[in-house]
Amino acid sequence: MTTQVLICDDSSFARKQLARALPNKWDVELSYAANGAEALDLIRKGKGEILFLDLNMPVMDGYQTLENILKEDLPTMTIVVSGDIQPEAMKRVKALGALEFIKKPVDGELIVQILNNYGIDIEETRDAADELDANLEIDLDDSYQELANVAMGRAADLLARLLGAFVVMPIPNVKHIEINELEMAMQHIKSNDSISAVCQGFIGSGVAGEALLIFNETSYDDIAELMKYDGEVNETAQLELLMDISSVLCNACLNGIADQLDVSFSVGHPMVIGQHIHFDDILKGSATQWKKLLTIEMGYKIENRDINCDLLLLITDDSIDSLNDRVSYLLV
Amino acid sequence: MAEEETEHGQVNIKDIHWLMDMLQSIDVGLIVLNRDYKVMVWNSFMENHSGVSPALIKEKVLFDIFPSIPKEWFRQKTESVFLLKSSTFTVWEQRPYLFKFKNYRPITGSADYMYQNITLIPLASADNKINHVGVLIYDVTDIAVNKLKLEEANNKLESLSKTDHLTQLNNRGAWEGYLEKEFSRSKRSKHQCSVVMFDIDHFKKVNDTYGHQAGDEVIRRTAALLKETMRITDIAGRYGGEEFGVILVDTTAEAALVFTERLRKRIEAEIVEYEEFKIKFTISLGVSELAEDCNDYKLWLEQSDKALYVCKESGRNQSKIFSES
Repeated sequence: MTTQVLICDDSSFARKQLARALPNKWDVELSYAANGAEALDLIRKGKGEILFLDLNMPVMDGYQTLENILKEDLPTMTIVVSGDIQPEAMKRVKALGALEFIKKPVDGELIVQILNNYGIDIEETRDAADELDANLEIDLDDSYQELANVAMGRAADLLARLLGAFVVMPIPNVKHIEINELEMAMQHIKSNDSISAVCQGFIGSGVAGEALLIFNETSYDDIAELMKYDGEVNETAQLELLMDISSVLCNACLNGIADQLDVSFSVGHPMVIGQHIHFDDILKGSATQWKKLLTIEMGYKIENRDINCDLLLLITDDSIDSLNDRVSYLLV
Repeated sequence: MAEEETEHGQVNIKDIHWLMDMLQSIDVGLIVLNRDYKVMVWNSFMENHSGVSPALIKEKVLFDIFPSIPKEWFRQKTESVFLLKSSTFTVWEQRPYLFKFKNYRPITGSADYMYQNITLIPLASADNKINHVGVLIYDVTDIAVNKLKLEEANNKLESLSKTDHLTQLNNRGAWEGYLEKEFSRSKRSKHQCSVVMFDIDHFKKVNDTYGHQAGDEVIRRTAALLKETMRITDIAGRYGGEEFGVILVDTTAEAALVFTERLRKRIEAEIVEYEEFKIKFTISLGVSELAEDCNDYKLWLEQSDKALYVCKESGRNQSKIFSES
């Protein structure tokens, strides 16, 4: 009997990655949805006996989708597939009725194991995965976004453990910009916001760039409280907090990307660009020969707190070929 | 086949020897600590700068040999490396140094102590558990000293570019900058804030009668009395030739009027002696408290200017609060 399987993820790259990870010998009809609302429609039409559900999506995210499935009592078994690997995220989706929680990038063997646990028969065969490729065009930006999403999830997990709080992960934002457009590429930073910034260079296997952590200064008191920092949150204390956060975020994110690409980066010592500065101060004193950059913006927010920081990966133009090369292996 | 393997093995050992030699002579401090902060590795850089030999410190608790290390701080950083299995970095701006190593270069040494950047990296054992931490100590004295000097020079330049030469008060540009900042701050925090504009009455006459240098002395004295009269948190600036502005934070118009009257009386009582002349002069002051419906700092300033104008019209040597009528 053919099983109706629905893959719901805003990233076409992630949809493809998951479709490929499904067991070959499983008789399924696959459907795809790019957000929760689309998924609900398809489930109502009987297209989603089993649902693989991403959490961070526009329009309707995974949590809302699960809520609606519960509310309407829709006939589907949901397996959450997420880059957000915080234990708290896992707890929340289980409470909303998800059967399992798989971290990205997905592991095919784990899927088989889970399906077997639920007594799902995957003995019958279906044709090779080639048919999938035709209706699943991916673009490169989409794959960078997914790459960042997974890396960001790992960083969020560490940050959550460092702060003992839940980190809200928005969708990473991929852009190709000229260096002087950097300010425009940033979504939530206003030009007269007072910020602090730390930069850390990385290079390896032909991929190079800098991770730039931008910290909104209104966040310091809350951060100090979460990190149980005693004493006055003066300039030195702020720098301590900034360095602690940037060490964790930059490292985890760069390691996350390196692991997925199967490379290892040499990472330079972080540089404090400044405290109490404006965004346009960041490029002061920069004499870069890199005019064009690939930027991936990852905003982190702490739930119920006024804490905002942005991790921006700035990847040099001459890294793109190596990067694309590596990214293409992710689907093999 | 066996020969090839031996060959291969020898190369590896040679490689390791070379690497070890380089680790000993590299200008970076390398330490390996276990979970109890006992020293497992201590390279030549550490030995030579600290005077503590590897034999002496091996298997000893780091803090016992170096009691001056900020223990709690260092522990906190290290524990997070163990906990999160993730490297952590500190820069000299946080703490100039972890180990107090004295300057060892009589000619090119630029500071009394070595500035240090530090990296802490998790070191995995064969079973993939993190039982050790690697500590890398970089000498960044030259970078730090250069940056500090540059900052000092920039601060000096900035302060010069903001200061009025004659009075040492803020110049007009800087003062207006503060006014704009206080405007938005008071708007946001809903605190009261008042601005005062004042000028010296008949200043042109002082200049014409006693000369420009006497005029300068009058301006300088006015600025000095202003500084003595205002609170430390108030912000004063020389707005134009004989015109001054003062921002009184957390102050209502009525309280500001107490200030302006005090200043006015002090100046009225003042006598500037210049060469054979004894110069007496007065000032007129306009006050405006930031109103809720005022949406531009320039408008706010204009209101105090209008109040000042009213003083001039009604005989000078007085201060008034702005009113719409």
